[in-house]
Amino acid sequence: MAAVSEAAPQIHLEHVEKTYPNGTVALRDVTLEIPKQDFVFLVGPSGAGKSTLVRLLIREEKATSGTIRVEGQDLSRLKRRHLPYLRRKIGMVFQDFKLLPNLTVFQNVAFALRVTEGGLRHLKPKVEEVLSIVGLEGKETKFPDQLSGGEQQRVAIARALVHDPRIFLADEPTGNLDPATSWEIIQLLLQINARGTTVMMATHNREIVDVMRRRVVAIEGGQIVRDEDAGGYHAPALESH
Amino acid sequence: MHRLWNRIDFAFSSAWQNFWRNAAVSVASVLIVWVVLLALGSLLLVLHSLDQIVALEKTKASAISVYLADTTPLGSAMDFKLHLENDPRVTNVIYVSKDQAMARFRQLPALDPSVIDTLGTNPLPASLDVTVRDIRDLAAIDQEVRSSPLVDKSPATNYEPNVIDKIILLARVAGIAGLVLIIGLTGLSVFIIMLTIRTAIYLRRKEIEVMKLVGATDWFVRWPFIVEGLIVGVVGAAVAVLIVGFGYRPAVINLQSVLIFIPLAFDPAYLRVVLAAMLVFGLLLGSVGSYLGVRRFLKQ
Repeated sequence: MAAVSEAAPQIHLEHVEKTYPNGTVALRDVTLEIPKQDFVFLVGPSGAGKSTLVRLLIREEKATSGTIRVEGQDLSRLKRRHLPYLRRKIGMVFQDFKLLPNLTVFQNVAFALRVTEGGLRHLKPKVEEVLSIVGLEGKETKFPDQLSGGEQQRVAIARALVHDPRIFLADEPTGNLDPATSWEIIQLLLQINARGTTVMMATHNREIVDVMRRRVVAIEGGQIVRDEDAGGYHAPALESH
Repeated sequence: MHRLWNRIDFAFSSAWQNFWRNAAVSVASVLIVWVVLLALGSLLLVLHSLDQIVALEKTKASAISVYLADTTPLGSAMDFKLHLENDPRVTNVIYVSKDQAMARFRQLPALDPSVIDTLGTNPLPASLDVTVRDIRDLAAIDQEVRSSPLVDKSPATNYEPNVIDKIILLARVAGIAGLVLIIGLTGLSVFIIMLTIRTAIYLRRKEIEVMKLVGATDWFVRWPFIVEGLIVGVVGAAVAVLIVGFGYRPAVINLQSVLIFIPLAFDPAYLRVVLAAMLVFGLLLGSVGSYLGVRRFLKQ
């Protein structure tokens, strides 16, 4: 395994190909470096390969060829029994929140600590800490169906933060939310980024990408077609129209 | 320590919830485990009884009782006894009078003495109990004594040349039939427990998805389901153990009152072994069934 130096990128993809068993080519020759504390938008049409890329990073899928390194670890060589420890370094949120409907806000967040053997002693202060980061103090005993979409996504974000992740992946986190709520979620992601966590957000939300002027990686047909700092949703040439 | 406790607490509370959340399926798997263990326990006890009977019959194999007709005078009986004693193949002859026969009969363990008293007259014949040097001579002696007018005709002797072979055969047939039945039921119960666990996994699929997402280990995800299988095994075994444990003695006594001449014995030491074996087998069924249930699902 390569030595992890400060200079090494936190996420490093080299010539990554992903072909699904049914023959669909989801990614071809993707090379990408993301340094620590970066904030990256991953944009592109549906089916372009954004979700596949996210799934490869948490190794829900394995790359067909090429290498993926996360925190210096080669994911193709990562043993299955070490996979949970990779997942604990990566916070994940989704468009559909993935909250457990029969658990309260507090229990949903605490669940992530319980099932990773965080132990019960430090559970309460940690859950309270992350709930205050996402601004849900006072909602601990509510159930997900008693919350707005934005609040539910905050619970999911809080849950993703309990392990103090080094990397935060958000797959269409604002896909189900109205514009005002979406902006609140983005503010939260910026805040998380400011605390030193690398954030990668796959999105369709053109307005947000255009206003934020952060690094944009555009994928089309499984290939990276554009990678620019302070970019917009579309390439500059198209934007002028 | 703290983590271990968290793991145990989580596994048991989830397993308990699973068990009641799909109660109908859980009860079905408990029932099948119960049936398997009941069959297993009963088979072991029946085979053990047959073994004991064979052992007892073997010790009696070199002896034969020659029943004398009630009309035979004592003098003729004694002459006949002498005649038999002079036979070089015979080692020993004992005369058993009608009264002695009745006294022996009264000592049979399962017999209700009041039943005998209602008989009025003594129906048992006097007999000459003949012991031979070589078991192979029994058949010839049996043939000879049957031709004597002194000998009762119904029945003449208790000579039953194939009784041991018959019992051994019975034990073998019962053993094989029972084994086939138990193997079949074992397969069925493992399958049903597996389905129960699959159902539980299906009902918990969202939780499992989240658990994997936030970095729970495979075994942390699996344990609740393994524990659920163990609960099914233990509950099924416990019910079967209680029934066999408390039912064995009354069953022996009842059977003995029907099969008066077959010596059945209650063997508490062997019963304890059987009950322990049932419990272990129940746990085994539960763990194998649930392991098969979780194995494939959690591979992905």
